[in-house]
Amino acid sequence: MSSHQRISRKSFLNWFLGTSLGATILATLYPIFRYVLPPEVAEAPTNRVLAGKLSELPPNTGKVFRFGAKPGILVRTPSGEVRAFSGICTHLNCTVQYRPDFQHIWCACHNGHYDLQGKNIQGPPPRPLEAYRVDIVGDEIYVTRGA
Amino acid sequence: MRLGERIWHALDSRLNLQPLVQFAKEKSVPRHRHDWMYYFGGLTLFFFGVQVITGILLLLYYRPTAEAAFESVQFIMSRVPFGWLIRSIHSWSANLMIAAAFVHMFTVFFSGAYVKPRELTWWTGAALLLLALGFGFSGYLLPWNELAFFATRVGTDMVSKVPLVGDWLLKVLRGGEDVTGATLTRFFGIHVAILPMLTSLLILLHLALIQRQGMHEPQEKPPLPPRPFFPNFVLRELMVWLVGLAALAALAAFFPWELGKKADPFAPAPAGIKPEWYFLFMFETLKLLPAKIFGLDGEVVGLAAFTAGGLFWFLAPLWDRKRARGEKSLFALLVGWGVLLYILSFTALSYLGVFQ
Amino acid sequence: MTRLLSLAALACAALALAAPPPRTVGAPGKPAQDQCTLCHRELEEARLRQPALLAAEDVHHRQGITCAGCHGGDPAATEPEVAMDPSKGFVGKIPPQKVPEVCAACHSDTSFMLRYDPNIPTDQLAQYRTSKHGLGLAKGDQRVATCASCHGAHGILPASDARSPVYPSRIVETCARCHADRSLMAQYGIPGNEIEDYQQSVHYQALTVKNDLSAPTCNDCHGAHGATPPGVSSVSNVCGTCHLTQREAFDLSPHKDAFATMEQPACEACHSNHKVVPPQDQWIGVEEGQVCGTCHSAGDPGAEAAEKIRHALLETVQRSEAVRQRVERAEQRGMLMDEALVKLEEAHQALVLARNDVHTVDPARVQARTEEAQMVLAKAEADAAAAEEELAFRHRGLKVSLLVILLAVVALGLKIRELEKQS
Repeated sequence: MSSHQRISRKSFLNWFLGTSLGATILATLYPIFRYVLPPEVAEAPTNRVLAGKLSELPPNTGKVFRFGAKPGILVRTPSGEVRAFSGICTHLNCTVQYRPDFQHIWCACHNGHYDLQGKNIQGPPPRPLEAYRVDIVGDEIYVTRGA
Repeated sequence: MRLGERIWHALDSRLNLQPLVQFAKEKSVPRHRHDWMYYFGGLTLFFFGVQVITGILLLLYYRPTAEAAFESVQFIMSRVPFGWLIRSIHSWSANLMIAAAFVHMFTVFFSGAYVKPRELTWWTGAALLLLALGFGFSGYLLPWNELAFFATRVGTDMVSKVPLVGDWLLKVLRGGEDVTGATLTRFFGIHVAILPMLTSLLILLHLALIQRQGMHEPQEKPPLPPRPFFPNFVLRELMVWLVGLAALAALAAFFPWELGKKADPFAPAPAGIKPEWYFLFMFETLKLLPAKIFGLDGEVVGLAAFTAGGLFWFLAPLWDRKRARGEKSLFALLVGWGVLLYILSFTALSYLGVFQ
Repeated sequence: MTRLLSLAALACAALALAAPPPRTVGAPGKPAQDQCTLCHRELEEARLRQPALLAAEDVHHRQGITCAGCHGGDPAATEPEVAMDPSKGFVGKIPPQKVPEVCAACHSDTSFMLRYDPNIPTDQLAQYRTSKHGLGLAKGDQRVATCASCHGAHGILPASDARSPVYPSRIVETCARCHADRSLMAQYGIPGNEIEDYQQSVHYQALTVKNDLSAPTCNDCHGAHGATPPGVSSVSNVCGTCHLTQREAFDLSPHKDAFATMEQPACEACHSNHKVVPPQDQWIGVEEGQVCGTCHSAGDPGAEAAEKIRHALLETVQRSEAVRQRVERAEQRGMLMDEALVKLEEAHQALVLARNDVHTVDPARVQARTEEAQMVLAKAEADAAAAEEELAFRHRGLKVSLLVILLAVVALGLKIRELEKQS
């Protein structure tokens, strides 16, 4: 082997080592870098969510929002009060809705009715809907469960 | 002058670093047929480093309460970019660290490196292994999933068998009568504050002792010329670390760590509750023991035997007179192989489902 | 004891002097003061002592109505001969056929009842007279139930008191006292298995296990005071008071007229009357153990429709189960499956509505619902597939990193070899 070949072999080896080590370091640092940057949703799901905007919820309307995969229902009463309940019908777990014509909460599955306090008033639901706490900050409606 | 050199000179003129460099240049590591065993201590240290880094990263998002722990781990795994990777690496690195520590311990035992003057190194090492097991046990509960919950319930229950103070110890460990959110908070504190502090101190002591006394060398003729510490040994150690990293990547790829189901303290325990693999040999042995041995509770006898055995192992530098004199010890060899075969066979048989 | 008694007697006498002539009814809201309970409490004979002991809890006594309110006599008199003087209207034990009138003397008097509870109904006697019990009593049958049979005679509690025999969750055992007695019921041509059947029903489950007091018990279908079996034509009305959607669906079906023509009770034909157990999709069809076979037979249009409906439901249930398993598996592997879980819930809802539409017996309507469910399920399945793909992608990414690291190991190995060859 000539000295020239030896030198080129050595420089190739150095290049190979440098590149592969560099790539390894990159492969290690990149995930860490990405991990440290805050994710899109900045917090683990807690017991509080931004359920809606006051301006989007005129009196005598309702809106279904979600705690993770579980529905909740936000109700603006005809008199303008904002209330929130679990959106899961206590009969067979369907999602309830607000019926402006009845002016109360209604479940389509078996015609269950709940009043504006979440109390079961007609049809098969055996229990009232669980009530959640509502906090209004400016235009934003926050709902807290289990509080 | 190049910038790097200028910084070096500036530091050297103030801190007198030249002797350190000289020391590193002159330091060497013995070379012999079994010098591969020198790398396992370093490998354990590497995995510990990985644990520290990934552990700190997990702390950015983890929440140590019964209500939020599972959800926060789920959040890390599903919403945080590469959170699944960090968590998987942390879990696997924990296992590999304990595996590397076990290998390290057995190589030291078989080569008889624990005899005078290295008794303290052996004892700090043994303490470090216990701390590592403590890390594993406390960390296992933190994701607050079903398996972890029930394994912790069974595991902590062992403590209650300690004579006289058992019930008190159990309460202290669990932070109450049963495994609850209070236990989780307690284990979290142990896992991220108490154990890391003790471990760091012991590692420093362990390394200082090795540095002070040098590597143990087997009496072998003729000795090979020693290997320079830098760059030869350092590069070799680096290669071993890279293999460790590769093992982590491979395990994370082929056996991604799962999230499981959220723990429900009121649900019946699922079938086939098992502790982590490094506790399996003890777990299976205790299950095999009869309920009563000479009128005593079988489990108590078993735990007492494990404590006595562990103590005997720990005190090897004191009873192994032959090796201390530089002779071969058939007894120590038999003890070593006996313990190794027992642990390996019980762990393997447990995985094969022989004990069910 | 005697001294105490005479002291009480003196006090009563003083009251009697101060107050208008002995009254049987005190002011509402104030427990009755009478001599009857004071003496009867001390009597040896249990039959005579017990009513006095029960008086303290009795809703009437607590509202100021003395024993004399029903039994007549003078409640203020201390001498037994004066207190229980027939000339003062004393009647002693009230015979069963007299009980309804005695109770109704006050309970049918709207203005009197208004003093105690403005919302209490006062039509019980009128209802009772139309009931099987009341009709039997009118014919002189003394074994039929009267007011006291269900409410008790002494120590009567309001129906809202959980200890009352007519509290919703206790009505079954109260009715069962007679209606579970097969030999007694046989004399009236009643099988006597109604109670046992009811106790296997979803309604009894809801009442006792879920403690849902609105779940129907005997009186919710048969009436309380006017207890009568609902007529054939009114069965679907009775069930429909709660099961409104099913009834509306049923009213759309050709079954409505067919059942009416055959004079068959509608709901009962498939769901039974007392033993209403949770309905199963597998019931639909004309085979053994399926409900349509009572009227339809294989090959007729009804049987074909049933086949289509059952198939649509079962297929959706199966698919839903399979997708749910896939989604939950992905969730356990650490993927975020909230969207898919919401879709699964939507599919469940569509399936519930499809089961309502089973009552229309129109396959097209049921299929429209199940197709809706299948569509959402397809989306959930796509989410699960995407999650699995993401997991596979991570797997591939890690394999690439693994390769990079292994290359670095090789490079380092070569470097070390070269280094050590030189020295």
